[in-house]
Amino acid sequence: MYRIFLSWRFLRQRRTNLIGVFGIFLAVGALILILSIMTGFLEETRKSARGSLSDIILGVTPYSRNGLPRDPAPILAEIRRDERVAGAAAHLAWMCLLTRDDEWSLGVLTDSQRSQYAGIKLTGIDVADERGAAEFIESLERVDKQGERVVDVKNPFAPPPEYDADIGRPRDRIIVGERVMRAHSLARGDRVTLMTAVPDPRSDTGWSARKREFVVAGTFRSGENEIDLQRVYVDRTQVARFLAGVNEDQALPKDAIEYSEVLVKLADYERDARAVVADLSLRLTQARLIDEYCSIVTWEEFRGPLLGAIENERVLMGIMLSLILVVAGFTIFAILSMMVTEKRRDIGILTALGATPRGVLALFLWIGFWDALIGALAGALVGTWLAIEIDPIEFWLSETFGIQIFNREVYIFDSIPSVVTPIAVALIVLGAFVCTLLFAALPAWRAANLDPVEALRNE
Amino acid sequence: MSSAAALVLSARGVVKTFVSGESKLEILHGVDLDLVAGERLALMGPSGAGKSTLLHVLGLLERPTAGSVTLEGTDAWSLGTEQRASLRNRHLGFVFQFYHLIAELDAVENVMLPAMIAQSRGEFASRKREHLAKARGLLEGFGLGARLKHRPTQLSGGERQRVALARALFLDPPILIADEPTGNLDRDTGEVVLELLFREQQRRQLSLLLVTHDERLAARCEHVLRMDAGRISNGRRDAR
Ligand SMILES: Nc1ncnc2c1ncn2[C@@H]1O[C@H](COP(=O)(O)OP(=O)(O)OP(=O)(O)O)[C@@H](O)[C@H]1O
Ligand SMILES: [Mg+2]
Repeated sequence: MYRIFLSWRFLRQRRTNLIGVFGIFLAVGALILILSIMTGFLEETRKSARGSLSDIILGVTPYSRNGLPRDPAPILAEIRRDERVAGAAAHLAWMCLLTRDDEWSLGVLTDSQRSQYAGIKLTGIDVADERGAAEFIESLERVDKQGERVVDVKNPFAPPPEYDADIGRPRDRIIVGERVMRAHSLARGDRVTLMTAVPDPRSDTGWSARKREFVVAGTFRSGENEIDLQRVYVDRTQVARFLAGVNEDQALPKDAIEYSEVLVKLADYERDARAVVADLSLRLTQARLIDEYCSIVTWEEFRGPLLGAIENERVLMGIMLSLILVVAGFTIFAILSMMVTEKRRDIGILTALGATPRGVLALFLWIGFWDALIGALAGALVGTWLAIEIDPIEFWLSETFGIQIFNREVYIFDSIPSVVTPIAVALIVLGAFVCTLLFAALPAWRAANLDPVEALRNE
Repeated sequence: MSSAAALVLSARGVVKTFVSGESKLEILHGVDLDLVAGERLALMGPSGAGKSTLLHVLGLLERPTAGSVTLEGTDAWSLGTEQRASLRNRHLGFVFQFYHLIAELDAVENVMLPAMIAQSRGEFASRKREHLAKARGLLEGFGLGARLKHRPTQLSGGERQRVALARALFLDPPILIADEPTGNLDRDTGEVVLELLFREQQRRQLSLLLVTHDERLAARCEHVLRMDAGRISNGRRDAR
């Protein structure tokens, strides 16, 4: 029984051991804190990676419909028949250039330094279908003083009060991303020009240019830089008319493209996503609403590479941070090695009194075990507490010492994200134990193989 | 030497060679030694003769290069490590020149150490009262009643050696091996320890193997072996 008793006694009497305990405590605490914040950041990133994406995205090939209907109505009806579907909306998206036809605005297009500012993604939407299927309405409601709200969120494409009816034929309204507005210093009621080219079999080059003026009805804010910098919304049928090259009040030609994607929202994504994707692709193919060139994917598949990268990063971080444990384990190694040297005589005494090498080995492993137990438990408690309370703690630190650790204006989060995963905590504690015991094994083995006589010979 | 049955410890042809680097150093050149039950046997000789080395071989702490040590009728060095450790624990009590107490334990705990090593946690716990009483009894018998909770550093040399003696006797081993037990003490203090040592030896009828440089001390033993340069020089054991 001396192993446990003596190991505990040695631990308590030798202050150097506290360094080892403290090392493990720091490592475990820091690891839990850092991993929790990392996990928090990654989850937030994951959320923003999803951004305004709907649950399921159905992409079609608008210019080669191969006899499939151009009108989105049948496919929407078919999709909505599934009771797991909460909402569905058709979009018509096309890349354009946007300008205000003045020096400043053209400057934006020529300025190579504004590399973020790429083309404009013109997105045609049906306002009535948007709520419950995509984020459009929410992004209108989110607008604050950085942008300019539309007059009526329920009818966002209504003419703004600044609209000057005298400028000629009625112009369609456009809702621009908040940062599009700032890039071009637009205001509600301003006119902007969209330009693009579309495939046209009747033209010699195979392409025809399109240009049209729109009136800014307001801004939206998705919260994602890229979208707020690149997206503009126009009523879907007006986009169809623009691309087909007919006036705002004319009838759509037969071969006009009317939608390029369908966004689907589910009642329970986690439960149904995969099944619905499978069912829809079967049913829509049978109903001759899609063909093999169309794609149906969940948002996760859509953002697959990014999510994969995030997950990779988490794993990599975990592995790299585990090196802290190795460092802590190494302090245990150093301290125990010192202790074995220091305790040579005691090892000799114990052997003379009948202890076996195995017993001596166990004695030193027990010391490592106590180090790990105290250090890891204390570290887990403090680390978890810090991870949970990090936001108020950071706030308190900022208040008290006037240093700002987490600048809430720089990050897209208004509090420090931190997610404590019990499994991660358990794994870290376990890792600390394994690491400590592995590192303790070497000095313990050395202790067991010491020549007891040599230790006893002299004072 | 009346009968072989009374032999508690015997060594035959013990050779010990130390190898350090290239050179080999033979310290013991085939030593024979018998220890009979209840006798006091002194081992004397100049420094470096190999007395301590022989004690370590006999005490099952150092493996002889050749030869055998018979304890309890078994060839102790042919046993496994665990069995040999247990033999050491139950049959041999050691007293060293430098006391060798464990600094982290108080006097009572040091004395109980052999029992802690021998017994499992449960067994020791169930007999703790008994052990405590016995350890206190021993220490009180050695005049250390007021020192039970003292750490070795709080004790004088003589007191430490008395604690070490109590520890050696704790599991009632039949054999006591002492290597210059008073070598580090002044005369009067050494006397006190020796009185206790001989008193206990008499009372318990222990076999005592004692290494000493002190002729007066050797004179109190029934037999004296003289050792020189790794050999027992006076052949068979002589009385006085
Ligand atoms: N591990 C070792 N390696 C090499 N030589 C050793 C070793 N241990 C002991 N010796 C040598 O063996 C010889 C005998 O040593 P030992 O301690 O047995 O002598 P001793 O008779 O007890 O002397 P003393 O009376 O001074 O205690 C000495 O010369 C010593 O240097
Ligand atoms: Mg010696």
